[in-house]
Amino acid sequence: MSKTIKQLSIFVENKMGELSDITTLLASENISIESINLSDASDFGILRLIVNDRQKAKDILEKNGFSSKFIDVFAVEISDHVGSFNSVIKALSKQNINIEYTYTLSNAKLGAFVFKVADSELEMAIETLEKEGIHLLCEI
Amino acid sequence: MWNKIEGASRETIEEIQLKRLKETLLRVYELTSFYKEKFDELGISPKDITSLKDIEKLPFTKKQDLRDYYPFGLFTVPMSEVVRVHSSSGTTGKPTVVGYTQADLDVWDEVMARVFTMAGATSEDVVHNAYGYGLFTGGLGFDSGAKKIGATTIPVSSGFTDRQIMIMKDFKATILACTPSFALHMYETAKKSGSGYLKDFKLKSGVFGAEPTSDGLKEEVSRVWGIDYHEVYGLSEIIGPGVSSNCKHSKLLHVNEDHFYPEIVDHKTGKVLEDGKRGELVITSLTKQALPLIRYKTGDITSLHRAACACGRTLVRMESIVGRVDDMIIVNGVNVYPSQVEHVIANTEGVTLNYQIIADKKGHLNKLEILVEVSDDVLSDSVSEMEKIKKNIQHSIANNLCINASVKLVKPRTLERSMGKAVRVIDKRA
Repeated sequence: MSKTIKQLSIFVENKMGELSDITTLLASENISIESINLSDASDFGILRLIVNDRQKAKDILEKNGFSSKFIDVFAVEISDHVGSFNSVIKALSKQNINIEYTYTLSNAKLGAFVFKVADSELEMAIETLEKEGIHLLCEI
Repeated sequence: MWNKIEGASRETIEEIQLKRLKETLLRVYELTSFYKEKFDELGISPKDITSLKDIEKLPFTKKQDLRDYYPFGLFTVPMSEVVRVHSSSGTTGKPTVVGYTQADLDVWDEVMARVFTMAGATSEDVVHNAYGYGLFTGGLGFDSGAKKIGATTIPVSSGFTDRQIMIMKDFKATILACTPSFALHMYETAKKSGSGYLKDFKLKSGVFGAEPTSDGLKEEVSRVWGIDYHEVYGLSEIIGPGVSSNCKHSKLLHVNEDHFYPEIVDHKTGKVLEDGKRGELVITSLTKQALPLIRYKTGDITSLHRAACACGRTLVRMESIVGRVDDMIIVNGVNVYPSQVEHVIANTEGVTLNYQIIADKKGHLNKLEILVEVSDDVLSDSVSEMEKIKKNIQHSIANNLCINASVKLVKPRTLERSMGKAVRVIDKRA
C-alpha cells in the first residue's frame, strides 16, 4: 500500500470568514477533516488539509471559487518518548533530504506528523525511513 | 503676453495655420511611407487641402502607429538633425519615442515661455522645477521655458521631499512647477515643521500639470500654498508640456494653436464636433520638424471655446481634461494602460489574466494596487513560492511601467465583473 498521502492545499485570502467558509462547505458535504494546517503570508495563506474524501472536497471547493491542488506528503508515527521526532529528522538529514514543512496529524491515535519534501525526494525519504524501522502511515 | 501672435486676429491666426498645415502635409507625404500610403489609400494629395476645413478629409494618427514604427520610423529628418529624444511608457514594454530638431526645441521654448508668462513669471522669478528630469518631457520642458523668460531655475527634479522643501524655502522660489499631487504632498510635509515655518516661503504662483486634476484639488493647492494655480496641458507626442495653459482670468486653457491645431471629434465615428461639445481632442502639429503628426488622437476628452478672454489673448481655449476615451489612468504623472499590466501578468505563471487595477490616494500621493486572481490549480503549496509570484509581478511592473505598485493575489473569480465584462480599472481618487 502506498505510503504517500494526498494532501489538499488551498489558496486562501487573509480576510474575515475565509476559513469558516471552507469548513462550512466541507461540513455540509459530510467531509471529515483529519488534519489541518495554515501557513500564512501578509495577505494570503495556504491551507493544508487531509480529509476523508479528497476529490469531493476539491470539487466542492472549486465550485465555490477556491483554488486548490493535491500535494504528495507522507505521515510518520511518532511514539511518545524523548528523541523519537529527532530520529526521523536525523534519518532524513543524513540523506540530505530537505523538509519543506511538517505539522501534526490531529486525529491519529498515536502521535503522528505529516512531512512535505520535494517531489523528487519523496520516494527516497520513504525508503530511508522504512529502512530505519520508522513506521509510516498508509492512506488515512 | 509673451508673443503678440497670442492676441492676433482670427484671420491672421488662420492664415498662419493654413500655410503651416500645407507645409507639414507636404513634409509628411514626401518623407514618410506611413503618411504617403495613408493619403494615397484615401485618394488625397497634400495639394487637395486648400482650407482649414479640409483637414477633416485627412486620416487620423494613433498611438499604436508610433509603436508600430518604434523607435524612429516616423521621423522626417535624418538622425544627424535630431538633437533630443524623449519617451513615454508604452503598452507592451516598448515606449513611445519622440524626437526634436533644434527648431522643435525652439518652438518648445517659445510655448513654454508663453506658459510661464501667463502664470505671471518674469526674469525676476525663481522657478522650483520638481518635474522629473529625464526621458519624461516634464523636467526639461519646464526647464527650457523658464530659461527662455530669463527666470532662475532650480532643477530639483522629483523625490527627496524634505530636501526639496528646504531648498524651495532657502532659495526663495517664487514659482512652483510640479504635479498638483506633489504640491500638496510637499505642503503636508512642510506643515510638520510648524505653521511659522510655512510663512517663510516666497511662492506666488504655480504651473501644474501632467495628471488629471479635480477642481477641488486645484483649489486646495492654491489655498494651502496661497498661490495662483495655473494648469499646463501637453503630451510628448505633440511636444510635451506647453500645448495649452490658462491665464489668471479663466480656467479654460489657451491652446497655442499657431503650432498645434486642435479639433474635437466623436472618438467612435471620427466626426468633427462643434465648439463647446465634448469629445476626443485631436491635434495636428503645424511646425514640428522631426516628428510631425497629422490629426493625432490624444485620447483626452475636452471641448473648445472661442469666446474672447479678458486677458486679450485670442487663441482658442480648451476645458481642463475631463476624461479619457480609453481606460488609461495617470498615477503620479505616469501613464498606466491596463494592457501594460496585462502584458506583465500574461508572462507570469500561476496567475490568470483576471486582474484589477486600483488607483487610490495615500495622503496626497497616488498609489496603485493590482489584484490578480490565482489560477484554479494553485501553482505551489509553498507560501514563499506564492510570495515570489507576487514579487515577480511587482518587479516587472516597476521595470516596464516605471511605477511602484503593490500586488495582491486573490482567489479565482472574485474580481468584480460588470455585465459580464471585466472591470479593469477602479479609480478611487476622484
